[in-house]
Amino acid sequence: MHGFREVVTPALEYSEVVEEPKLRDTAFKLFDQDNQTLLLRPEMTTPIARLVAQRLRNSPPPHKLSYSLPVYRRAGVGRGQSAEFHQAGVEVVGSTSPAEDAGTIALLVDTLENLGLEAPRDFVVVLGQTAFYEGYLRRTAPEAAPELLAALAAKDLVSVDEISSNLPDEAAAGVRGIPRLVGQATDGSVLERAGRYAVGDEAGAALENLREILAHLDAHGRLGAVMLDLGLIGRRNYYTGAVYEVYAAGLGFTLASGGRYDNLLRRFGEPLPATGFAISLERLISVLPDQEPAPLLVLVGASVEATRAAERLRSSGVPVLHLAEDSPPESAVEYARSVDAGWVCYPAPDGLKLAPAEPGGEFELIPCEAVAGRVLP
Amino acid sequence: MSGLRVAVPKGAIFEDALEALGRAGLPVEVLRDNGRRLLYRGEVTEFIMSRPSDVPVFVEYGAADVGIVGKDVLEEQRPNVMELRDLGTGACRMILAAPEERAEEIRRAISHAEVVRVATKFPNTARRYFETLGRQAEIIELHGSVELAPLVGLAECIVDLSATGTTLRENHLVVLDEISYSTARLIANRGAYRLRHQEIAALLDAMQEPLRG
Repeated sequence: MHGFREVVTPALEYSEVVEEPKLRDTAFKLFDQDNQTLLLRPEMTTPIARLVAQRLRNSPPPHKLSYSLPVYRRAGVGRGQSAEFHQAGVEVVGSTSPAEDAGTIALLVDTLENLGLEAPRDFVVVLGQTAFYEGYLRRTAPEAAPELLAALAAKDLVSVDEISSNLPDEAAAGVRGIPRLVGQATDGSVLERAGRYAVGDEAGAALENLREILAHLDAHGRLGAVMLDLGLIGRRNYYTGAVYEVYAAGLGFTLASGGRYDNLLRRFGEPLPATGFAISLERLISVLPDQEPAPLLVLVGASVEATRAAERLRSSGVPVLHLAEDSPPESAVEYARSVDAGWVCYPAPDGLKLAPAEPGGEFELIPCEAVAGRVLP
Repeated sequence: MSGLRVAVPKGAIFEDALEALGRAGLPVEVLRDNGRRLLYRGEVTEFIMSRPSDVPVFVEYGAADVGIVGKDVLEEQRPNVMELRDLGTGACRMILAAPEERAEEIRRAISHAEVVRVATKFPNTARRYFETLGRQAEIIELHGSVELAPLVGLAECIVDLSATGTTLRENHLVVLDEISYSTARLIANRGAYRLRHQEIAALLDAMQEPLRG
């Protein structure tokens, strides 16, 4: 619906591709025959940035790309955590437009809602703007900025307060106040209060950018899923503008995260702005509502007639699992239940003998054509 | 006033934690009545009683929305949680200490970059401290009565918490260095901080700044 092209990148990357020390530390490493260090990719954004810089440099931007691939990180030994995770996400490379930030957020909300989650009951997108706080600090408290950004990235508001107590009052107000600007995006008062701290070009432009993103989100009809938190700045030295995290009820961790990273592609010789998100599929599955299993029928029989019946049923639209053995009804029912099939049937001279997959389910002789009407919802 | 689940630490900072929560209007009296129960389901608020070092775990995984825990535990574990407020209570120091009669000897050994053996309940804190000094240390992790280690030759010095210094004095240990200063903190799960922001913000507002002497 949005025209993203799916890409697949190699699982192995040269270690230079990933620059963040923390990610590099968690990556599995190996060596090629020239003793160059390779990594199993610990995330997807950097490999896609490399792909764009190397392979798509001659096609016109923006590049709208999607992926759904595993990434690998060393988990704590013996903690029962997987070292392989699946991520699905999109990247829009080559546009600074706030409409692209809003577009990816709207796509993220759409995706989650299509899977049966509902905002804001089941999840919210928490949206911040890294450049706003950074711009404010550069203008009012440049010396303390690195320390404050480190504290905020560590989500340590106590240290932020401590550092601010050594600053002049007018600087301290925003240093303390901005990270505490949290509220629904539909409630204009958060931006209104933020306006007080929009001193200087940089913070002013960042706030204007955030306003535009919200205007586009409103046009998407997705503003209700969004919550503002101007204390959210994401990983240090990575995001350059909009930054967001998705939280779901009952899940202590982020379900998805993303934002604008305009500096990453410079490393690959293509200074292109970019924005995108990644969803953790394992966490997503853990919060999805239970779904009714799709209709499925187990057709039992090793004969050629059974194979022919299976084909006829499939062509009438019935999903068929052909159990090509002459199993007795009890074990066939047990098997059907183990694969979440609702029905069991045997080929018969004038049609099929059909029964619901329940212990003691009654078999009934019905013509082949009538099965679809019975089995499909 | 809220439907939050709160992790409360047992042990030294229990009373201070209760007072802070009580000041914020939470029905904490139930916790005083019976010291054995682990989970209290109030009409709106739920309380979990846990070891101090487990509080960040409950909060990080979202099993509790907010919790109270010492900065020393946060420094040791570095959990991915929101650190919202310094409650100012439960003050103590993380110290490096050694037996009185060998204190000078050990101080010299550390300054000459000899590898010393350190017993501690806080291995990450101890390791980071020696790293910032540019020194190496063999860290021995214990789970209680760390003061015993230098007395019986298990280690040459200890990294431990000290509130009043009484335990150190009783065991003839002297402080070689103060590593950090710790007070109780209110922490919140990252998701709960947003999804239940109104309740948590109300809790923060209601916990007035403690008086500092």
